[in-house]
Amino acid sequence: MAYFAELVVNGALTGLMYSLAALGFVLIYKSAGVPNLAQGAVVMIAGYVVWLLFSLGLSLFLAVILGAAIMFALGLLTERFLLRRMVGQPVIMIVMLTLGLEILLRGIGPGFLGAAPKSLDLGIGLAPIIIGDVFINRAYLVGGVVAVVMIAAALLFFRTRLGTKLRAVSDDHVSSWAVGISVEKAIGISWGLAGISAVAAGVLWGSVQGVDWTLSTLLFPAVAVVILGGIDSIWGVLIGGLLVGILGSVIPGYLDAVVGGGTRDVVTSLIILLTIMIRPYGIFGREDIERI
Amino acid sequence: MPKLALSNVEVVYDKVFLAIKGVSLEVEEGDMVALLGANGAGKSTTLKTISGLLGPERGAVTRGEVTFGGRDLLPLGAPERVASGLVHVLEGRRIFGHLTPDENLVAAFRSGGATARLNELRERVYTYFPRLKERARSKAGYLSGGEQQMLAIGRALMTEPRLIMLDEPSLGLSPILVQEIFAIIREINSQEGVSVLLVEQNAAAALEIVRTAYLVENGHIVMSGTADVLKQNPDVQEFYLGGGGKVNYHEVKHYRRRKRWLA
Repeated sequence: MAYFAELVVNGALTGLMYSLAALGFVLIYKSAGVPNLAQGAVVMIAGYVVWLLFSLGLSLFLAVILGAAIMFALGLLTERFLLRRMVGQPVIMIVMLTLGLEILLRGIGPGFLGAAPKSLDLGIGLAPIIIGDVFINRAYLVGGVVAVVMIAAALLFFRTRLGTKLRAVSDDHVSSWAVGISVEKAIGISWGLAGISAVAAGVLWGSVQGVDWTLSTLLFPAVAVVILGGIDSIWGVLIGGLLVGILGSVIPGYLDAVVGGGTRDVVTSLIILLTIMIRPYGIFGREDIERI
Repeated sequence: MPKLALSNVEVVYDKVFLAIKGVSLEVEEGDMVALLGANGAGKSTTLKTISGLLGPERGAVTRGEVTFGGRDLLPLGAPERVASGLVHVLEGRRIFGHLTPDENLVAAFRSGGATARLNELRERVYTYFPRLKERARSKAGYLSGGEQQMLAIGRALMTEPRLIMLDEPSLGLSPILVQEIFAIIREINSQEGVSVLLVEQNAAAALEIVRTAYLVENGHIVMSGTADVLKQNPDVQEFYLGGGGKVNYHEVKHYRRRKRWLA
């Protein structure tokens, strides 16, 4: 029983850290209406940026703040120089653009800074917290707490006036223009915010597994989270993250010993497949309203 | 003075298709003007030219001038044009379906404006359209067609316009609703002095409320004048107002009727 509880708790915390990577994906979808397949690489770049600032001698706090500012600026630049040209193009073109960006960034990060994993020490102790018989990983606990805070902040943000405008943009670009909303600015801001959430994901995952190109493979669980939770729902990020994390921890916890390991990715893939077949818009996602 | 003037405007889609061919028109401050014509005549293109929404449809203005209050509009993007005081209510309403009506209104309010002003404008919209207030918290996509049209107009009013352009507000609505909505448009025009440029296929309804009208065919303005003059014109009566049954076909010689302005 303790083994099961431990799998659930640590799975949930890992899941919340997936949510952190998935949050940027939803932020962009919810305001620009585009699935950003480069989100994994954005998380990786964020990890590299903070590691670089940190190793230049800045305090961790300053490195994270400055890193967030840099990632926000990079998000704005992405809109200005890449996405603005895509206005009026079919969505598939923009998806391909983000996929190309993912591949490019995956090459650029390790290309300039070296492929060896960089360690990013946040000063979180290694000794687990023990509650009853359950061992809880401290790093994951911190990650889970940060994820919950970021998700709450995102929920509040979308209730503000700016957040409402961003949601309006995701609904209809042309009618946003028609009532004076600058669609370009809104998309820029959403990429900027996704950059900031990528800093949180990059730093926390970087501290757990080291900063290297494998951070960008977070795209895979992140996509599972958003597909399960609903691609445009912040609540979906939270619940989807928890479910993906718990299922991806409990099932391998019992099955890996039998089949020899590696079932976590199978579980993630199955989640994606089953969701698309049974409920394509996810748990909290919106169905398109058809009314004429 | 926010007077809208188009002079000899030409619009080309996809670099090849000439959609409007030298349109000139004026909307004086506080005036109410209709742009009438059949499908594909170039009415909506004219409105998009004014509001700056040709870009996403790969259209471009190749000739002519568009000024609003003496200011050249063509170099401005759509949001700047809205800031200068004109707003375009799109054909087919195009409300933000996943937002509530209330959020639709909030989204259209200019960024950085005072919250007090936002509330004031919102209350005014709800006074014009009490039905929106009743449904302020449900998803806008589930409103009825008439309510969506009201929301589209209310959302446009949130931008504090001096000129409001309406593209077929009567589309798909029952005659009673059309009357109701036209009455409110007239009220907005007379109470707040907002100029109105109304695009309609429903010429009969439109000519009842506007002062002047332009008739568009094949990208040309073929006729303009006060609503009364247009209503009396026999060609307008026959082709746009349903003839009124006054023609006695027994006495008419057999020849194909041609519009007089094409002669």
